[in-house]
Amino acid sequence: MIWQRKHILGLENLSKEEISHILQTAKPMKEVLQRPLKKLPTLRGKSVMHLFYEASTRTRTSFETAGKILGADTASIAIAQSSISKGESLLDTARTIAAMKVDLVVIRHAASGAAAFLTEYLQAGIINAGDGQHEHPTQALLDMFTMQEEFGDLAGKKVVIVGDILHSRVARSNVWGLTKMGAEVTLVGPPTLLPPEMKVLGVKMSHNLDRELEGADVVMALRLQLERQQSGLFPSLREYSRLYGLSSQKLQKTGKKTIVLHPGPMNRGVEISSELADSPMAKIEEQVTNGVAVRMALIYLLAGGTSNVMA
Amino acid sequence: MLWLKNVQIVDPDQNLAAIRDLLVKDTRIHEISASFRPEEVQAKAEGAALEVLDGGGRLLFPGLIDVHTHLREPGQEEKEDIASGAEAAVRGGFTTILAMANTKPVIDQRALVEFVRAQGERVGLARVYPVAAVTKGLQGQELVEMMDLAAGGVVGFSDDGHGIQNADIMRLALEYAKLSGLPIISHCEDDDLAAKGVMHKGLVSARLGLRGIPSCAESVMVARDLMLAEESSGVLHLAHISCRQSVDLIRQAKKKGVNVTAEVNPHHLIFCDEDVQLTKTSLKVNPPLRTAEDREALLEALSEGTIDMLATDHAPHAWEEKARPFAEAPFGINGLETSLAAVWQYLVAPGRLSVKRLLEAWSLAPARRFGLAGGSLKPGQTADMVLFDPDRTLEIERENLASKAQNTPFLHMTLQGCPVMTWVGGRLVVNRE
Repeated sequence: MIWQRKHILGLENLSKEEISHILQTAKPMKEVLQRPLKKLPTLRGKSVMHLFYEASTRTRTSFETAGKILGADTASIAIAQSSISKGESLLDTARTIAAMKVDLVVIRHAASGAAAFLTEYLQAGIINAGDGQHEHPTQALLDMFTMQEEFGDLAGKKVVIVGDILHSRVARSNVWGLTKMGAEVTLVGPPTLLPPEMKVLGVKMSHNLDRELEGADVVMALRLQLERQQSGLFPSLREYSRLYGLSSQKLQKTGKKTIVLHPGPMNRGVEISSELADSPMAKIEEQVTNGVAVRMALIYLLAGGTSNVMA
Repeated sequence: MLWLKNVQIVDPDQNLAAIRDLLVKDTRIHEISASFRPEEVQAKAEGAALEVLDGGGRLLFPGLIDVHTHLREPGQEEKEDIASGAEAAVRGGFTTILAMANTKPVIDQRALVEFVRAQGERVGLARVYPVAAVTKGLQGQELVEMMDLAAGGVVGFSDDGHGIQNADIMRLALEYAKLSGLPIISHCEDDDLAAKGVMHKGLVSARLGLRGIPSCAESVMVARDLMLAEESSGVLHLAHISCRQSVDLIRQAKKKGVNVTAEVNPHHLIFCDEDVQLTKTSLKVNPPLRTAEDREALLEALSEGTIDMLATDHAPHAWEEKARPFAEAPFGINGLETSLAAVWQYLVAPGRLSVKRLLEAWSLAPARRFGLAGGSLKPGQTADMVLFDPDRTLEIERENLASKAQNTPFLHMTLQGCPVMTWVGGRLVVNRE
């Protein structure tokens, strides 16, 4: 297919063909990553700006690594040392970046819609690296890439996503992407974190993890924001962990060779036990590697790299 | 004397909807008749200059009265001031507006009340009546000096912008305000249930990943306030009702004889949560746009009289404040210049709301509830009138708006049906001819 999009704001509006194309493009990118000399001239002269309003280790580093391998010039705005900490609005920051004529902006922001907001004021392509509780498309793409490596076609595969669904942009993006690829998704969490209106995502919802594990090919734990307990959304970490925490023992209920994913950073002993996180079932480090590959693919597609990617 | 010929007068106060001629003498409606002879009018003018205007069969309404506006003066004049707000009002067909107290400083002392009134009089367009706070500084803790403020000219009390969280303070306010006879206008919102949400909690908020404000954040406060009003025999007016559950509670309370009136905002009758998009901050408003089902329940309640009034909740904000991600933009819709036209286009023209009900709800009922001049075209009443052309179109563009702000969802749209002339106290203050 011929790639048409200028921005990646979420997976809700991408087609199955587009998602497949991104994942296909990520395959040769991953091969580049395995080379001793990881540098391509593909995007020489292109500039990528990283605008991270929220703390992030892996996503930001992953994007920067991806851009650098492709030969693009990358820059980051460190929020704490910038005029944003002096109260500059997102609009004014956007205009400043526009004036610098960058080709691609990668943004993470606590407000849902922040990436879409930038598209209204910038000429550059925009990649959403997480906007509030809305979408985190690159995370879902790397999750799907990891699942594909394991299972090939995702059609009919049973994926259980467990945790704080309500506040999770990772869950939303994964549901949009996985259902387009034909996977069968089940969302699991307590009623306070998986309220009835989440049915809008159009997938099965359940409050009982043990019951849903049977037959699961993939189980994805979401990071639990520990401050949610103070808001009364669940009574204690202990009870949460008992009901919704993943362990090797619980995973036996799948009756299958199941893989376990986590977007990181993990709360070991809360949503996932240490022994499971360090077991071969867990593909958490593979996810990180694949994250670089998927982001290389997106930067390549959006920054209009024209030369052969394997050159 | 003004001889206004050939106008379709719609005045629920006289149960009138017919082509008539109308005479205005000085500041008041003088007489209405099927037709006048010129020499008859000359005689009635008693030597005063006579102006004759043919309405061409267009509609003549009593001037609209908006019981819910935020004029931002004093303190936030970059958003709006009393002059720009009053001009926006008369252009939109409103001859009287009530200005809410959540300015900087808060209108909680007589000197501030008198300042707002004086600013309104200086401008000399719409009549501007201040609403004072219920509690000092809108803090929800101590009552304002209600009697002194009433003597200074307030027509009601409201902590609008905030719900009064402490039920006992609300009860005391309803009790004490009986001294003044003025209504307590309640902004019904439980802060804990609203939980810093930014739109209606439902399917759309779940999809967009925006924090939701559940309907119960409003309805539990409506229930509380209705019970307090019943027990205290206080005078209660409920601002900006947005959901079906609140409507049901108001209907029950009215059956029991509770002294309550309620208003609905045009945007809650026209839009719903499905219209909200992440980058469409012009639809960010509090209470939030609820579901299509709520919207229909509100329209039904307005039509049958459970909801007594329409009100704009005119809430101007500077452009750059709304040019933010949805969660960070302020709540509020600019309404004075667009609301009548929008309600006409979306509800009256398609036959979903009658013209009579429109004017009961936006002129007569507000005048009666708040004891205001106007609301009627009966001879002897003040000549606050609007000549309305249902065919005339209005382009909603920045340069066409008198308001300092453009935070309207109708920006860059054309609305059909708008006021062409507005008179306040017999004085022509808007003329689009």
